[in-house]
Amino acid sequence: MDLFLQTALNGLVLGGIFSLAAVGFSLIFGVIGIVNLTHGVFVVAGAYLALVLHDSFGIDPLIGVLPIGAVLFAVGYAYQRTIIHWAVSRASVEASLVVTFGMAMVFRNLLQLWFGPDVQAITPSYGFQSVAIGEIRIDVVRLAALGASMVILLALALMLARTHFGRAMRAVAQQPLAASLCGLDVRRIFGLTFGMSAALAGASGAIIGIVQPFSAATEVAWTLNAFVVVVLGGIGSPAGALIGGLLLGLINAFTAQYVGPALTQAMMFLVLVGMLLLRPQGILGAAYGETR
Amino acid sequence: MDRRTLLKTGAAAGALLAAPRLARAEAKTITFGGSVPMTGKAAETGLNVLRGYETAVKFVNEEMGGVEIGGETYALELQLFDDASDPTRAATLIQRQVDEGIGFFLGSFGSAIVLPTCSITEAAGRIMVQAGGGSDLIFTQGRRRVFGVFPRASRQFVSSVNMFEALEPPVKTVSIIHTNDPFSQFQADGARQSCAAAGIEVLDFIALPAEVSDVSNVLSTIRANTPDVLICTTHDQTSILIARQMISSRTNVPMLYQTLGPQTEAYRKTLGGYADGVVTQTYWDEEAPFSGDWFGSAGDFAAYYRAHFDRELAYHMASGAVCIVSYLQAARNAGSLELDAVRDALAALDFRCFYGPVRFTEDGDGDAALMGPKLMQHQDGELKIVSPPESAAAEPIHPAPPWRERA
Amino acid sequence: MTRPARPLAVFAALVAAVAVALAPEALGPFHIRVLQFFFFSAALATAWNLLGGYAGYWSFGHMAFIGIGAFAAAHYAMAFGGGGAGPASMIAPVAVGALSAGGVALVIAYPLLRLRGIYFAIAMLGVSQIAAELTNNVGVLKGGIGVFLPSPTPAGMPPERFFYYLFAVLLGLCLLIAWAIRRTRFGYALLAIREDEDTAMMLGVATERWKIAAFVLSATLTGTAGAIYGYSLGYFTTYSVFRLDFSLNMIVFCLIGGIGTLWGPTIGAALLLFLTQVLLSRFLDVHLMITGALVVATVLLMPGGILRAVGELPRLRPKREGGT
Repeated sequence: MDLFLQTALNGLVLGGIFSLAAVGFSLIFGVIGIVNLTHGVFVVAGAYLALVLHDSFGIDPLIGVLPIGAVLFAVGYAYQRTIIHWAVSRASVEASLVVTFGMAMVFRNLLQLWFGPDVQAITPSYGFQSVAIGEIRIDVVRLAALGASMVILLALALMLARTHFGRAMRAVAQQPLAASLCGLDVRRIFGLTFGMSAALAGASGAIIGIVQPFSAATEVAWTLNAFVVVVLGGIGSPAGALIGGLLLGLINAFTAQYVGPALTQAMMFLVLVGMLLLRPQGILGAAYGETR
Repeated sequence: MDRRTLLKTGAAAGALLAAPRLARAEAKTITFGGSVPMTGKAAETGLNVLRGYETAVKFVNEEMGGVEIGGETYALELQLFDDASDPTRAATLIQRQVDEGIGFFLGSFGSAIVLPTCSITEAAGRIMVQAGGGSDLIFTQGRRRVFGVFPRASRQFVSSVNMFEALEPPVKTVSIIHTNDPFSQFQADGARQSCAAAGIEVLDFIALPAEVSDVSNVLSTIRANTPDVLICTTHDQTSILIARQMISSRTNVPMLYQTLGPQTEAYRKTLGGYADGVVTQTYWDEEAPFSGDWFGSAGDFAAYYRAHFDRELAYHMASGAVCIVSYLQAARNAGSLELDAVRDALAALDFRCFYGPVRFTEDGDGDAALMGPKLMQHQDGELKIVSPPESAAAEPIHPAPPWRERA
Repeated sequence: MTRPARPLAVFAALVAAVAVALAPEALGPFHIRVLQFFFFSAALATAWNLLGGYAGYWSFGHMAFIGIGAFAAAHYAMAFGGGGAGPASMIAPVAVGALSAGGVALVIAYPLLRLRGIYFAIAMLGVSQIAAELTNNVGVLKGGIGVFLPSPTPAGMPPERFFYYLFAVLLGLCLLIAWAIRRTRFGYALLAIREDEDTAMMLGVATERWKIAAFVLSATLTGTAGAIYGYSLGYFTTYSVFRLDFSLNMIVFCLIGGIGTLWGPTIGAALLLFLTQVLLSRFLDVHLMITGALVVATVLLMPGGILRAVGELPRLRPKREGGT
């Protein structure tokens, strides 16, 4: 029983991190309809920035989340207004997949040139602590990561529901044409969405940096994870990302414990394909209706 | 001035004019070809091996003024390219170098690259000396011109088991964690066989995927089933992750033994004092009591390397450098750069240098008794050789204190 | 439209065949290897194009079939031997590889092809990851530790030349099939599916059956290429054959050359491989970046591919909605 509970807890904690790492991807997919294969690069870039802040200025990654988010917001905004916009308007949405993949190669190479190919890790002062409840143990870093992820997801959900920008974003997602007829600057909203997605990815990267080692080459895994989370939970909403992430975490943990750690990836994608076949819109469905 | 003198002066003048050109032609070069993963997953170790090659070339060219073989002095030149761990890319580019007439090849990192490329060099009658492919298949398919400075993977664990048997209290049980790739899996299989042969029970044999994000669950198993030694044949990134999560989840074992990872700077930086007591293996250490021609002692090699390169020194640099040193020693012994002569001299090689004794088996891999891994342990923030006894700088600390007492 | 040009086309094909047959006499092994890889890549892209270009179903996971073909061939050869020596020993394993890839495609075709657009693409990506992870992590499949195929090269022939011819024949086969399909009911049905699947179904096109046929055919050809590729490597692990960049390159080659056209995939492969393998092979640190930038630039500057950019084939592209 202890083992079962421990596994479930491990899964939920991991899942919380997955959720935050995927929510930006989900937003872009939901609002703009683009699968952004550059997503993982933003996550890893966030982790690298957190490393620099931690090692050079002694800033804790959980605080570093704010400046990192700001930097990546600018990057994401510029990225959408140029390359993504050109790709979608000149070619097709599918071609944008290829373009974002090409850009991922470029960015990955840049990260590698800049930081070297070595594996990096951030070790905050509380890096080796853990909390115990009876026989069940949980690392403090993981707990902190989970907490930070939940706070950010909640803030995002509130922003989407309550602010003017949130409403505008949802309007654009549902009916771009109608939204622009109502006087919304659709292009600007697309840019801001992309910026926000990149900022969220960067923030999650900073948090991931304290939990596990990373290198430029790990970006692919984060993109794929985001894919799975979104397809599991549903597109375009923080709630969907949360559910998808937690589920993915649980699947990971239980497969690792009871089937074999080597088969977690296979299981993850098996669930992905099964989900696509049974309910392609995800558990919560697309947040913005059937417009796409 | 008669006609004869005129001719003479002319000839002399001509000789004078031609002299610089001749002198330049005299400084012949030996070119080494090959590929190294400089980007992609294997880049971390790939760059280490590359720096090793560069160190040897720089030293020979700048400190020794070239190398004398068969009465002529040669400078060394490297022509290495990035294979990005892609076997097709590596094969195509190696073929280009074979076409261009390069005779001496250095190896990439990873058996999946070394195998296809050494098939090409072997078929073309060229030679490869490599420090990156340990798979048994490289050496057991009858190739005669492929040499490796590491023993084949299945023989890499013999020295470790020797240490386990010498420990007090003796090791009775082990658990093994490995990654599903040829390097890690061959090592793990080797470890399992060597342990079984010595009567040590293998409690768990756990495979991890290539991308690992969380080992909490594996550690639950280890806690439930505590072995005397936890052996991880995982790569750097995974080793750090395992150690970190062991510490925070208070998963204590008498000995944590990770074949790759604890050597790196990242490992020490991440774990700090917790690294103490962790055992790892190395094929070379700067404090080892070896010396010989070329770089002098192991310490001299380390000093020379640090004076010229920034990248953190690891044993891969020495292994890379010794590939080139072996070539040169063999060519010097043969007194020729002719392919067959160098090949035979490599096969017959038996000398000592900063790396230790160098001798290849009949199949071309490093002699497991001489070139097998030594065991090191983190003690007081430093890595010290603890086994085999003849090169040991310290006694192994066993059993290691629990994590909470290290910090 | 091609009728008057047909004798010319046949003549051109013959000339090309003779040129390909004689080229190795004039070229060094390096260039033969580059061409060999080009034939392999072009064959893959042409096979992908049957489904992605003709029917408009973009698969992001065709590497699955390369891997399945290669591993099935290797396991068959290790278990039963090839039967015979030299090239003959390849026949049975390669056939097994091809049929395994086709068989897997047949099993997954019905459920997967109900998905459209980006969902089909993602599902295929998922399938390819499952195949790769299972191969790598299920002990008996030996993907982690690697599998071994004996050299089928006839005595006295350099291996690169042998595989050069093999891949050349394969590419010829793929092109022939692609060409033939275009002028049958099959081809028209696929184009109808691409342009408007629902209308096609309404008009009585058996869309389901044609889609599945195209998918299985494409997978079988890809599996054949994978099995031969496995032979050309001799020893390979999961990640030598299940490679995400294979999946992607097939698409990129088609995009660059002209998706849905007969020659587009081949032209795209020729161009990009020439750039990356020949011109840029010496740029050590930045070749990834250059390749990525090239891909992006091509899609942005010539979204219809070179063939359409040149204006030879001003065929309609389905108008796509969504996005900006």
